[in-house]
Amino acid sequence: MSDQVMSFLKIFLITFSIVFLSNLSSQLRIEIKGGSEDSISIAIVPMKWNLDIPQEEFLHQVIKSDLESFGEFEVLPPKNMLSLPTSKEEVFYKDWRLLGTDYLVIGEISPSEMDQEIKATYIIFDVIKERAIHRGTVLGPLKTLRSIGHKISDTIYSQIQGIPGIFSTKLAYIDKPSKSNPNYNLMISDIDGYESLSLFSSPQPLMSPSWSPDLKEIAYVSFEEGTSRIYIQKLSNAERIGLKLEKGINSSPNWSPDGNKISAVLSKTGNPDIFIYNLEDSTWSQMTNHFGIDTEPDWSPNSRRILFTSNRSGSPQIYEINTRTKRIKRLTFEGTYNARGRYLPDGKSIVFVHRTNGIFHIATQNLRSGKIRILTNTSLDESPTVSPNGNVVIYATKDGDKDILAGITLDGKTKFIMPSLKGEAREPSWSPLID
Amino acid sequence: MNMTQKSLITFLVFFIASCSSVSMDRTNDATAISASASDAYSDSGLTSNNILYFAYDQSDINSEGRAKIRTLAKIINDNNLTVRVEGHCDERGTREYNLALGEQRAKTVAELLIINGVSSNKISTVSYGEEKPAASGSNESSWSKNRRALVKTF
Repeated sequence: MSDQVMSFLKIFLITFSIVFLSNLSSQLRIEIKGGSEDSISIAIVPMKWNLDIPQEEFLHQVIKSDLESFGEFEVLPPKNMLSLPTSKEEVFYKDWRLLGTDYLVIGEISPSEMDQEIKATYIIFDVIKERAIHRGTVLGPLKTLRSIGHKISDTIYSQIQGIPGIFSTKLAYIDKPSKSNPNYNLMISDIDGYESLSLFSSPQPLMSPSWSPDLKEIAYVSFEEGTSRIYIQKLSNAERIGLKLEKGINSSPNWSPDGNKISAVLSKTGNPDIFIYNLEDSTWSQMTNHFGIDTEPDWSPNSRRILFTSNRSGSPQIYEINTRTKRIKRLTFEGTYNARGRYLPDGKSIVFVHRTNGIFHIATQNLRSGKIRILTNTSLDESPTVSPNGNVVIYATKDGDKDILAGITLDGKTKFIMPSLKGEAREPSWSPLID
Repeated sequence: MNMTQKSLITFLVFFIASCSSVSMDRTNDATAISASASDAYSDSGLTSNNILYFAYDQSDINSEGRAKIRTLAKIINDNNLTVRVEGHCDERGTREYNLALGEQRAKTVAELLIINGVSSNKISTVSYGEEKPAASGSNESSWSKNRRALVKTF
């Protein structure tokens, strides 16, 4: 082998070692703390199993826990059902009306034409209107039964609520070192906490995960070289590259909606400013230029503006810069600490960290009216991330001294916590919608 | 790129890919690539107390801290040391804002070392924000220990 190959191999072996993190990483679970009173009643009938192997996981249970996650639905338990129909002919609307059910879902799971694949077919009924409103089929390997369930939940949600369901989306977060695992871990999991997976592990801090809009890569900060540096990592093959390193802070990556650029923070000019990294030619260009702290950029959904935190007025406040004209507008005025803003998907409101009486909460502000609403009643709340349908915020908070994730619907009606079975989670980042 | 290189890279890519696909099947049984970075800096070589503490949300140094920096500057120059100043914060406030605040703290200390005669090319700075607390616990006793800058020798 040539010297070049040897040095490549050496660097590979020094920098990366393949490790098994069996049972060391955190797994999140959703626990609802306060539910909504005006929830929609739905029945998910146990689905007919047409395979000649025993059933280990049940689709109706996956769908039930999805729909109940954010308090919008109340799912009728099978033991209360008067019949268990698996075809349209077996559905008697009167039975379901008697039980106060608004919607009904039935279905069956069969072998598909493709080897090793299964086919779930289902029908959604409007009980009040006495008609089927949707028929669907989802195909997939048997071992992906949970994701087949999430896809059905997404369709049920969008058929009834009129906006996309988010049960197939993913969460990225950072696992803090613990006694059982001394490393920082970049994790991804399903939004219900299942299927958690460590993408990168390091004895030095990891920070600020951000999804690429096509969900194929994650940008994050790693201190593995002794200083902060931004990396992007492919999910398919774990290939990772470091963005061009500049002197000082290299942090807070946030992917542009078109996927071609990353906004971030560099302090090479002597103080932290907002910069844009062009992924096509690997160059940095400067957006803000102020002697104070500018940090925590977030692209607006239409790419035209970038939200950021600045202490240029004396205390941290949230500002917006027009990426073309570079005109800067201050957005928050209430209180002396407003930071880490994130746009809602419609671009008309933001969520952010707001300090009131020394306590850090998650708040939302309508950008037109300027009206601010505090969403959370926990303390030391930070890192809010919004569901891609704009309905839910997940954020990092404390349970005693423990770092946990928690969530709240934007209407404030449902709160939940996501305790980690092992480890401690922080810096949640909600993925875009999966097609 | 010659054939050996190509096949080696192909092998590594497939090796990583096959490992990750194994872990996708099993919850909680994740395979990850990991960094094995080590901290090349240490406290050794600085006999004097090398930690400076800060007030909440502040990056200025009080008179006690200034006296400490004068002593440190003398040790650094007498022994011809190269140092790195690490800035840290308590957990309150947002992580990225704290990373910026930690850098201000490190730079304040570095500037005071320079004023006290240390050559600027002997000093580097880094901020860890709130990522490497000295004390865990969400109370003032822990917070006050975490708002700090450390002067470490290379």
